[in-house]
Amino acid sequence: MTEPTVVTPQTIIEFKKVTKAFGDNLIYEDMDLLVRKGETFTIIGGSGLGKSVCMKMMIGLLRADSGEVLFNGEDVGALDDDGLRRVRRKVAYVFQGGALFDSMSVVENIGYGLREHAADRRTVTDELVREKATTCIEMVGLETTVLDQLPASLSGGMRKRVALARSIALEPEVILYDEPTTGLDPKNIKRIGDMIRKLQKELRVTSIVVTHDMPMARKVSDRVAMLYEHKFPFVGTVQQMWHSKHAEVRDFIHGTLRRPPAGQPVAREGHHGA
Amino acid sequence: MNPIERFGRIVVGGLEWLGGIASLFARLLVVGPRSPLGVDDIAAQMVHQGVKSLPITTFLSLFIGMILAWQFGWALKDFGAVQALGYASSLALVCELVPTLIAITVGAKMAAGMTAELGSMKVTEQIDAVAALGADPIKKLIWPRVVAATLAQPLLVVWGNIIAIFGGMLIAEWVYGVPAGYFYETYIDELKPIDYFCSLTKATTFGVIVGLIGCFHGFNTKFGTEAVGVATTQTVVATSICIIIADFYLTMVFF
Repeated sequence: MTEPTVVTPQTIIEFKKVTKAFGDNLIYEDMDLLVRKGETFTIIGGSGLGKSVCMKMMIGLLRADSGEVLFNGEDVGALDDDGLRRVRRKVAYVFQGGALFDSMSVVENIGYGLREHAADRRTVTDELVREKATTCIEMVGLETTVLDQLPASLSGGMRKRVALARSIALEPEVILYDEPTTGLDPKNIKRIGDMIRKLQKELRVTSIVVTHDMPMARKVSDRVAMLYEHKFPFVGTVQQMWHSKHAEVRDFIHGTLRRPPAGQPVAREGHHGA
Repeated sequence: MNPIERFGRIVVGGLEWLGGIASLFARLLVVGPRSPLGVDDIAAQMVHQGVKSLPITTFLSLFIGMILAWQFGWALKDFGAVQALGYASSLALVCELVPTLIAITVGAKMAAGMTAELGSMKVTEQIDAVAALGADPIKKLIWPRVVAATLAQPLLVVWGNIIAIFGGMLIAEWVYGVPAGYFYETYIDELKPIDYFCSLTKATTFGVIVGLIGCFHGFNTKFGTEAVGVATTQTVVATSICIIIADFYLTMVFF
């Protein structure tokens, strides 16, 4: 069922006994998780259970109530502002809605991180930013004509790709994708899935994907973890997950899991209660 | 919930709110002055908040000056002392009405605008994106706004005081037959340096309040479009209440 959380030289991100709650709403309890360098790791689970919370803890946007969130062996929760900047230079986050800055053009959005992380901002000229933005935009399959447009004039799919371009501008080691295909049509879903795989190969990044999109998860993932009852009890390769004997995994992947009230066992189609 | 429990929740909620504002202010004092100061961002906010508020400030100040002069003139007429209209109007306008009314109207407008903008950024995760891209959201988003509000309020009040005198001069001349020049001379004659200092101190304090409350509510907007509306409304109410309370204490200090 669960792979042992053995620390290997290739571990890039690790959660150790992490607990996180928002008031009375418990999200994680003694949660362990391990992500290997270079893999595409997908997190699946029911809506509203806290998958995005897990990703936000990886870069310190949220802090665990207890336990450790390690990036390259360093506890993200214990880092100061400079330490977090260092981590965020290496770990890029692609937000669910893109989170592009409305008042800035595409080129300014892509250049934002470049300017913030520059040791001397004067070295990051407008020409340098445009050159980098052009490279990134072409990498995500967009025309350079979008560079001077505002996000409001772009379609949903284009905004997601610009958000991806913004994330890769700093050449990160890890890219976090928060529901990358939500709200997109099938053509753009395929495009995003292809892009995740392409970036993994070309930039040699570790990719962590939160998604409900099972076909896409199957296509892009090396390993999959399913969030269930505040932990990740089910972690495995795509083959292992898709042929899992565990009813909870099977039911979720094939769309038959119904989340029970607290304290009651999982209800499955064809079964009636405990 | 019984009345005592409800009262307790209100008190605790108010203390939590004050704690949040104080915490934000303290963090701002630490990260704000660090290099780079963000002069470009501050200047952009000064234009957005200050320059664009000039028309409404002019309109309000003109009418504040005219209304006060009219009412004071009416009262002074009974005593046959309408010639003292300039003396009587100056302190009330410069030390109280102009800075306070501009803060409650124009300042609340600025604060509501900040809350709406930052609240929209919050619900679309743009604030998280600022942090994820290596910037400090407090330094990048709040610092320029608070500094701009702190600088813009006194500048708007200076302009407002000039326009208010003009409004008073119009009413003195047209309604009460007091020569405008005489009104102006007696107006300025009554004021001492401490009165100008009072006006500017109030304006600066109100500017800090406007910036802090506007940004605090924006940053703490809950998710959803309704939440942005709720936060903006709370900003207007909180700003108005805090300005009046601060006005009371500052008046006690100066008088």
